[in-house]
Amino acid sequence: MFQDILVTGLVNGGIYALLAVGFSLIFGVARIVNIAHTAFYMLSAYAFYFLLVKVGMNFAVASLLAVVLVVAVSMLCYKLVIEPVREHHAAVLIATIALGLIFQESLLIGFGGHYIGIPGAIDGFAAIAGVRVSYQRLIILVVAAVALSGTWLLLHHSRFGLAIRAAANDLEIANLMGMNVKRIAMFTVGVSVGLAAIAGVVVAPVYVVDPLMWQTPLVIMLAIVVLGGLGSIQGSLVGAFIISYVEAITVFAVPSGAYLKGAVALSIMVAVLLWKPEGLFGVVFEEER
Amino acid sequence: MNAVSALAARSWANLRNEVLVLPSRIAVLVWALALLLLPLVWGDAYVMRVITMAAIFAIFAASWDLLAGYSGQVSFGHAIFFGVGAYTSALLSKHFDLSPWLTMPIGAAAAVLCGMLVGLLCLRMRGSYLSLATMSFPLILLGLLFALPELSGGELGISGVRRAVVSPVSNYYLAVVVMLASVFGIWKIGDSKFGLILHAIREDEVACRASGINTPRYKVLAFLLSASFAGIAGALFAHFMRLAGPSTLELALSFQVVIWCVFGGMATVYGPVLAVFILYPLTDFLGGFDLFRDVRLLVFAVIVLLVLLFMPRGLGPWLRDRAERVCPRCKSRNVFTRKQCRLCEAELR
Amino acid sequence: MKRGSLKLLGGLLALAFASACAAQNIKIAILGPMAFLQGENHWAGAEMARDEINKAGGIQVGGAKRQVELVKIDTNEILSVPDATNAIERAITRDKADVLIGGFRSEAVLAMQEVAMDNKKLFLGVGAAHSKLGVNVKENFERYKYWFRVAPTKDTDLARTVFAVLNTISEQMRRDLGKPEPKVAIVAEKAVWVEALLKAAQDTLPKMKMSVVGVWQPSATANDVTAELSAIKRAGADIVFTIVSGPMGIVLGRQMGELQLPAVAFGINVEAQKDGFWAATASKGNYVSTLDTYSEIEITPKTVPFVKAFKERFKRAPAYTAASYDAIMLYKDTVEKAGTIESDKLVPVIEKAAHTGTASVLTFDANHDPVFGPGKVTGIAVQWQNGEKVPFWPNNWNGVTYKGVRPIILPKL
Repeated sequence: MFQDILVTGLVNGGIYALLAVGFSLIFGVARIVNIAHTAFYMLSAYAFYFLLVKVGMNFAVASLLAVVLVVAVSMLCYKLVIEPVREHHAAVLIATIALGLIFQESLLIGFGGHYIGIPGAIDGFAAIAGVRVSYQRLIILVVAAVALSGTWLLLHHSRFGLAIRAAANDLEIANLMGMNVKRIAMFTVGVSVGLAAIAGVVVAPVYVVDPLMWQTPLVIMLAIVVLGGLGSIQGSLVGAFIISYVEAITVFAVPSGAYLKGAVALSIMVAVLLWKPEGLFGVVFEEER
Repeated sequence: MNAVSALAARSWANLRNEVLVLPSRIAVLVWALALLLLPLVWGDAYVMRVITMAAIFAIFAASWDLLAGYSGQVSFGHAIFFGVGAYTSALLSKHFDLSPWLTMPIGAAAAVLCGMLVGLLCLRMRGSYLSLATMSFPLILLGLLFALPELSGGELGISGVRRAVVSPVSNYYLAVVVMLASVFGIWKIGDSKFGLILHAIREDEVACRASGINTPRYKVLAFLLSASFAGIAGALFAHFMRLAGPSTLELALSFQVVIWCVFGGMATVYGPVLAVFILYPLTDFLGGFDLFRDVRLLVFAVIVLLVLLFMPRGLGPWLRDRAERVCPRCKSRNVFTRKQCRLCEAELR
Repeated sequence: MKRGSLKLLGGLLALAFASACAAQNIKIAILGPMAFLQGENHWAGAEMARDEINKAGGIQVGGAKRQVELVKIDTNEILSVPDATNAIERAITRDKADVLIGGFRSEAVLAMQEVAMDNKKLFLGVGAAHSKLGVNVKENFERYKYWFRVAPTKDTDLARTVFAVLNTISEQMRRDLGKPEPKVAIVAEKAVWVEALLKAAQDTLPKMKMSVVGVWQPSATANDVTAELSAIKRAGADIVFTIVSGPMGIVLGRQMGELQLPAVAFGINVEAQKDGFWAATASKGNYVSTLDTYSEIEITPKTVPFVKAFKERFKRAPAYTAASYDAIMLYKDTVEKAGTIESDKLVPVIEKAAHTGTASVLTFDANHDPVFGPGKVTGIAVQWQNGEKVPFWPNNWNGVTYKGVRPIILPKL
């Protein structure tokens, strides 16, 4: 049972991390709470399905194209919808909710409410410490590790990353220093959604794809980033694994309470917030006046 | 007799000098009267039902506005108060066979308790943390309800709840009258000194505290008051639908209320009500056409986006700014056709 | 004078309306979540019935033949319960439907039932299984008598079928795999309709010489059950007994296949009843079996022709909500027998009906639920075998064998 918890938690944590880090990134830079983040993840899963199954492309091309497409759509959405209302905290929330709904309804009209299964890249499973894990899940773990370290490299070893971190540190000062903050924000949206789109492409084959699939991970993802501290990337990483292990432990300790895993995860988040209102690794923002 | 005529004269003067001078006030008066008279001219059961639901949701939307619009505590889990109101009154009605006239106030009281709890929990949080933390509360409660199916009826909820009044028209009047009273109450609260303090907290909490205002107390009070109205809405909903189910706690409802308020205009009270009365019947009405059936939610979302882009303060204030002008000197409002302020006679530009 | 002429006009209008009614179509409202598979099947089954009836001239009401007109009512019930009640109100008061057919999600149908009963409209339920719907009829007959459940059988009868099939499977396991006491892991979604079944299973299975190794209850919409499956594998289960209506059924089937769990899944798995299951599991859902309603086997003489015609027309197999066909045919028979479309007069006729439908022979009990049993409503069991949904039960159960059943395959892993 111990090794079951260990392995299951690790694999699911990788998926959650991929979603949460992207979400955290754009919040850190532009203070955008992007409710549509998981909707982009859904969009990418559908794009991948369409290209792979309907058009008949091969895995590599389809996944690459799906990610590129979704990133392009996200930057367009940012330019058209988010940027004009960025000053209003609540308006951004609503705009992204509306975006999520638009994606949901468009997919519902385009593909119907059916559940769609996407074949994995490799069939079969590996036994790790006696626990069976399908190859697709191992791929997810590898992709998550690569994507996350890539993001880390980008942030810490490139001029663009420096710009992102500067903007995240203090958007106004960055602006005063002559940085094109608007463009930085837009590209950060691209990177952030790119991570979600990668998640969509690799995760789609292990989950069921349907127009409501963005809502379940949305809640968990929000719990993770709040738990870890909004805008903190290492917080999101840690939060992802905390939540995935909490879920795994719930399932194994109380099998007949497996449905409670979401509620338990949320309760843990609330508990952490009561203890540290800014999350585990959150920066205490100065009172914004 | 004299007293009566004097009162009548005074109310008429009040009406003429305070209400009939501004288009927005005339609109509110006409709207309220139209709601009260509608069943006499158009008693269609479907129309009655849709407007009854709109009235219930209008209370709910206005209650969110009181909390989020005025005090800036942008709650993303407002459904919890609606759900607590609905479940409490439904449970009492079902198990103790209490009269709906008793269960509805108790439902609201339960929501107030819940509001206090949530308010206290949220005291230390602000901004996005508060939004996202509040979002989780109804979902946690939903998990609990599923864990106690004997009590809550699980995914089926509690059905067969007694109606307070039977016919569609009396249900309509119940909802509309409660709605008018609640919305007026919320507006009064927003307009009072208390409302002013909430405004101040939203704008600058530190400055408020520095001026000697006990901000935590006001924040919890805002939660309490808002929860009480949301609880009333929930209880009305349960007795009207004869059902209190998980749909009263779902994320969709929490999001819905935020959309209504931002669409209509936050911190206005009239904005959210206007939004509900436009959007709710509209989306339901569209469902009646083959052409729009599949796209109505899409249409809804697109309308919301467009309003957001072109009227960032919401539809209500936008309309009001078109119909009225603010006097540059005394800040009072005037109908847009006037050249001079009606109070201080300053020139309007 | 003015008032008098108004009255006269009103009278004339009423008369004109009444005479128009005589030759008017019979309006049948089909209620369902039209953007989803359940609603699509509600509608498809209804269309088949309408075309068949209208081709033959219509429904004989008293002296006149009246055509059938369907009204498509999207209840959106999967997403919103208030939407569903508004929709049914619209169907009754706006579209002036004569009879209501459909419904799917029990929470929504309970609310819709209230609206229909408020208006004293006949409501033939096709889709919701919860027994509360029928219990209402018994507890307050005068109010709820206009409700009848056409399909599926109520949840407690589903249980009886499930145990009968489980018995068949475990006997085969004892015989073929040499397992004297097969181990059963129960995977049930967390829902109220599951409770009765779950409790019955825990009591009954040991008596049927099967041991229960555990109960797992993920959420109906869980998109991952690998944690549960690892635990089930560790418990050494031979049978995974599923009680699932949500998309979790797909995830379960697929992940069992991917991890090659050495067990056969049987129970209620609504998603596995659908044609799309094989594709939705990306061809991993082999050996998954479930209770079902339609297949190309001879449940009644009408079954095979209906299923064939349905496949021909819609290019897919019917799901259980396509029993809206049976509901309309039952309504037609009833109206023709009663000679009227007044709900009050139809109720006693339906109560006495013995209607041979496409999925069952329908008779009703005091709860207005279909009577369960051999020769009446039995349900069938099917198994996914290499992309094909193969019916394997009832095979010599209480003397009932439907022509066309094939044996179940136990995975030897």
